[in-house]
Amino acid sequence: MKNKTKGLLAAYGMVLPAFLVVMLTVAYPIVSAVIQSFQDEDTGAFTTANYTYFFTETAQRNNLLYTLFVVIVTVVIAIVLAYLLALYLRFVKSGISRAIGMLYLLPRFVPTMCAVYAMITIIRDSGLINRIGLLFGLDIKLGLMYHASGIIVMNMWFNIPFATMMIAAGLGAIPDSIIEASRDSGAGRWKTFTSMILPLSMKDVVVASTFVFMSNVGSFTTPYLMGGNSPKMLGIALYDQFNKYLSYNRSAALSVIMFLICSVSAAVYIYTNLKEKDWEK
Amino acid sequence: MFKMLNPRRFYHAVGKKKFLEFILLAVFILFFYEPLLNMLMLAFANEYNVPSVLPKEWGFKWWGYVFGQKSLVSSMIQSFIIAIATTVISMIFCIPAAYSLARFQYPGRKVFMLSFLLTNAFPKLGIYTSIAVLFYKYGLMGTYAGVIIIHMINSMMFMVWLPSSAFRNVHRQQEEAARDAGASPVRTFFKVTLPMAMPGIAVATLYTFLGSMEEAQGTMLVGLARIQTMPVAMYGIVLDSSAIQIGAVFAILLIIPSALLIFVMRKYIGPEAIAGGFKMK
Repeated sequence: MKNKTKGLLAAYGMVLPAFLVVMLTVAYPIVSAVIQSFQDEDTGAFTTANYTYFFTETAQRNNLLYTLFVVIVTVVIAIVLAYLLALYLRFVKSGISRAIGMLYLLPRFVPTMCAVYAMITIIRDSGLINRIGLLFGLDIKLGLMYHASGIIVMNMWFNIPFATMMIAAGLGAIPDSIIEASRDSGAGRWKTFTSMILPLSMKDVVVASTFVFMSNVGSFTTPYLMGGNSPKMLGIALYDQFNKYLSYNRSAALSVIMFLICSVSAAVYIYTNLKEKDWEK
Repeated sequence: MFKMLNPRRFYHAVGKKKFLEFILLAVFILFFYEPLLNMLMLAFANEYNVPSVLPKEWGFKWWGYVFGQKSLVSSMIQSFIIAIATTVISMIFCIPAAYSLARFQYPGRKVFMLSFLLTNAFPKLGIYTSIAVLFYKYGLMGTYAGVIIIHMINSMMFMVWLPSSAFRNVHRQQEEAARDAGASPVRTFFKVTLPMAMPGIAVATLYTFLGSMEEAQGTMLVGLARIQTMPVAMYGIVLDSSAIQIGAVFAILLIIPSALLIFVMRKYIGPEAIAGGFKMK
């Protein structure tokens, strides 16, 4: 019994310093942001005006819808392509699949700003694609810069490798024996996929989608360097509220709105993760 | 050999499956690596005018320009100091927490685990802006300590979740065997548990270090003008200059540390080790 209390004390002793750092540097600022978001700029009295501003002003509402559009398109395309790539990496054993299996891990470690900058050198109107087109007498203007499609293309660069990695790790954990058993009992490729592989990897798909979703709602560097002036992604709108208009209460309100958007996906994530199966414990 | 350049001949020579794989590889390389290669080329282009695809004149002209900027060398030194300090300090806080979360069952464990997700769900800028208010109060604005705290916030989730999932994968029996052979708990940890959990810890360390190397938004906000890391300097130089080569040179300088670290830690980097950082168990 004495040993158990000692173990418990040690466990708390080890986890508490990190927990306190998070409480102090993350939770406390968040709470104070929430409080600030309900305060009037001048008087400090309670108000919801900071919130209604973002839903009633046309420009701000457009920013919100634009961000949701970009993020959802990003999640859907990235997850579908990543799933296909992960299936390929898991089930095709060849030199090429091994090569891709190595190469796809690296983009994750390239600094965001460098990657965005590199992509700009390719797709801008006087970029590589345009110059190659000119060699063949074609004046290709992709129109990706300062447009939602450019941001989505860039998001693919960051998120496909990430999502593939998450899903590949999940698919790697499915033993070959399960798949062989399904094939032996007469199930076709498609049936094996829908009844065995897909359900077993669903959890990883959800995890990957959540993180792709959350990281893109607040994305800053990509829209800052590639996005247009209007509509804007929320990360830029937030930066403007704070840096340009110096309205701290509104920027706090916008942070909370973005947090709530993220929480929806975080809730799905937590729900899937907490459903621990008995044999996993 | 040249016969192979004809797609149709190539198709018949290698077969349908191989042909499709080659197309996949080509698309993959073009999308993920061509931007980086193009940027590498631009960094060594003295003259790069529309419409030429390759530079007219190669050389180190822009490297000379970038290194001629006084701020650059100091920004590199500051970046390294901050990145190393951030990594060491977050290891001190997070590794014990990770071990505790992996090895002990106690009330509140899930809450602790979840608290680290907060850093990823709330918009970073929202946290930075309200933390800035706190920093002003305690005189942390424009100091190394302030910037390091900001950088730690970014990496805490990985620094706890990744090693935690690595610790969980070390079998308890192996630790017990070491204890039975007479090793003390501390010795067991350093001789048995830590080496086996190394891949997860290595990837987490890599993330923390690189995350700190590339962080710009929070550093700009909290560092005021006094602390200028490389990415902050890059924003300044890139947005002020018209020559695309300057940004390319800077981006290459920013990628070098990542490339070196990835090379050193290459045997640890794999989907299984990385994916653990996104799962809550």
